[in-house]
Amino acid sequence: MAKPSRSLLALSTTALALPGIAIADAPPVNSSLSYKVSNYQEDDLDRAESPFGDLGRYDIDVHQFQFISPIGRAFSLQIDANYEDLSGASPWFTTLGPNGSPIVNLSGASGIQDRRAELNVGTRYYLENGSIGGNVGYSQENDYRATYGGISGERHFNDDLTTVSIGLSYSSDDIFPTDAEIFNRVISEDKSSASAVLNISQIINQVSTFQTAFSITEQSGFLTDPYKLVDTRPDKKTQIAWSNSYRRYMRAADAAWHINYRFYHDDFGVTSHTSDMSWHQNLGSSVQIIPMLRYYTQSAANFFTNVDDFTSPATNFQSSDYRLSAFGAISGALTLKTTFGNWDATLTGERYLANEKYSAFNVSQPSTALVRYVRVSLGLDYSF
Amino acid sequence: MNPSLKRFSFQAMGSHCEIQLFHDSRVYAKRLAQKLGTEAHRLEKKYSRFRSDSLASIINRQAGDNYGIKIDQETKLLFDHALTCFEESEGLFDITSGQLSRIWDFKSGRVPDHNRIAKALENTGFDKLSWHRSRLHMPAGMEIDFGGIVKEYAADSLAKLARALGSNSGLINLGGDFSVIGPMPENESWPIAIANPHSTDFTNSVMARINLSDGGLASSGDYERFFFFEGERYSHILNPKTGWPSKGLRAVSVASHLCTVAGSMASIAMLKNETHGIQWLLDSGLPHVYMKQDGEIGGPSLNARLSV
Repeated sequence: MAKPSRSLLALSTTALALPGIAIADAPPVNSSLSYKVSNYQEDDLDRAESPFGDLGRYDIDVHQFQFISPIGRAFSLQIDANYEDLSGASPWFTTLGPNGSPIVNLSGASGIQDRRAELNVGTRYYLENGSIGGNVGYSQENDYRATYGGISGERHFNDDLTTVSIGLSYSSDDIFPTDAEIFNRVISEDKSSASAVLNISQIINQVSTFQTAFSITEQSGFLTDPYKLVDTRPDKKTQIAWSNSYRRYMRAADAAWHINYRFYHDDFGVTSHTSDMSWHQNLGSSVQIIPMLRYYTQSAANFFTNVDDFTSPATNFQSSDYRLSAFGAISGALTLKTTFGNWDATLTGERYLANEKYSAFNVSQPSTALVRYVRVSLGLDYSF
Repeated sequence: MNPSLKRFSFQAMGSHCEIQLFHDSRVYAKRLAQKLGTEAHRLEKKYSRFRSDSLASIINRQAGDNYGIKIDQETKLLFDHALTCFEESEGLFDITSGQLSRIWDFKSGRVPDHNRIAKALENTGFDKLSWHRSRLHMPAGMEIDFGGIVKEYAADSLAKLARALGSNSGLINLGGDFSVIGPMPENESWPIAIANPHSTDFTNSVMARINLSDGGLASSGDYERFFFFEGERYSHILNPKTGWPSKGLRAVSVASHLCTVAGSMASIAMLKNETHGIQWLLDSGLPHVYMKQDGEIGGPSLNARLSV
């Protein structure tokens, strides 16, 4: 027999790479490495809202790294590493101001300096009609530590047009506030949370998809903010959320609508609605521009107060945390995505304005400390 | 109890398919054959361009779409192999010539209008495909036809699946594309008769006999579909450069370590002119047999026992 030709070798190489056995669901073909840097900057408070002390609020820099790679034919590996650098101040206590309206006092003159580091490792195993996966993670701050893990399973039905997935996760967190003895804070507390998610996604036709997800989360333990002068919350919380997402590609415009709605309720008494829509416009084959508009509104927790009551017994629930007040928020973002070779770059700018006037719920006690922020992020993806 | 031969047949990919298994248990063999049949139907359902719900049809419907279509790994690897076929054949083996396959109606024997051929050629060309990660972008009007690859790939795939499920003696035959699961008992190779495209009766119905102990055997030829035009015989194998059927060899069978490789080699040989086709087969170093336009049969491996 003659020596095999170059053509035979070339054809054999690609033929041998064919999977051969049904792999309906497949791990990623390429490896990818991503880095994203974001800056989140809350607007300073007005002097009228906080007559004394610093006005500067949180300024957070976030660095996110992600690595995803196939391992063999049936596994994938994902590693996420995040690093956050936080400085600024958060509301410490609220009182009535000289003119009788509530004012807020921010924590410490020098504010807070904190860093958070997180590592999350996950793997998935791809089966004929779906996949199963698991992940474990650890997050550490000066005053907070979280250890968490989760498992999930996904199955395709109906010629892969329908996908049903379920996920279970658990997190165990320790809280050990800084300067606890000076400020008479708790020394060390813990909390845990467990959640379950059911997600159904359906490909409606070539140009549209719909996804709905229901989740329930049970938290128990220390749910109070240890940095507030007065803050007492129940030690159990049940949260439910229902999220819906519709996407439709508009062929004529070469663009896609993404429309989302989320309902949330918890037994602190907070109910919220979030709706957003974005338009993903392709410009040629390598640029995409995405304007987004979001509206959010929530009701107040049963025990929310906009003026801390220092005389109330410590066992009575109360909190002046603005996140538990009734308010509304409007945010707008613009994202620019571009592709060059194996690289993808994403630049996003977002403006967020929370205000009790935007609330769709009744606001009996407006919070003085609602946030307005600017977020700018730049992401780079490299696939190989 | 000695294993005995169990045969199962079914229809898939427009062909008569047969699975032969040596096994003690008829129940086991039957279950295995059912699993293999399911795999054959999965591939047919996924890649047939004659099914409107197939992935191939979905890919073809999105031609010209800037957004592209996300391609799974199995299909991506088939595209990779198709690219090698395209490159090694210098553009003769081209799975993007689907529109050409559609306009030629060999049943009626009519030659399509010149303009339609020209138009189909404009919409052909593997080098016009572009990829962004796992998203495929295909120009408007182009049609992919996996027909030249998938049946052979399916034969290999079924043999591999059978081995993974514990079978070590058997043969897959998908309409003339063979893949060996494992040799017959006592290491005997499988005797395979290759049909003679020229045959009109039973006396010369066999072009060659090949004994196959492993790997695969694929045939390409104008067995049933061909036509005469202005005194010349044309096969159903279309040349994506001219838009016309090729006029080279009438039939080619090739054996290789994989049916997919054998099929690609045979198809490329058929697409070349007779002289180049024969040279291509010789250069490959693979066992093969061919029939020329005048009916002459050639090839180095007639009646040979092959171990590839």
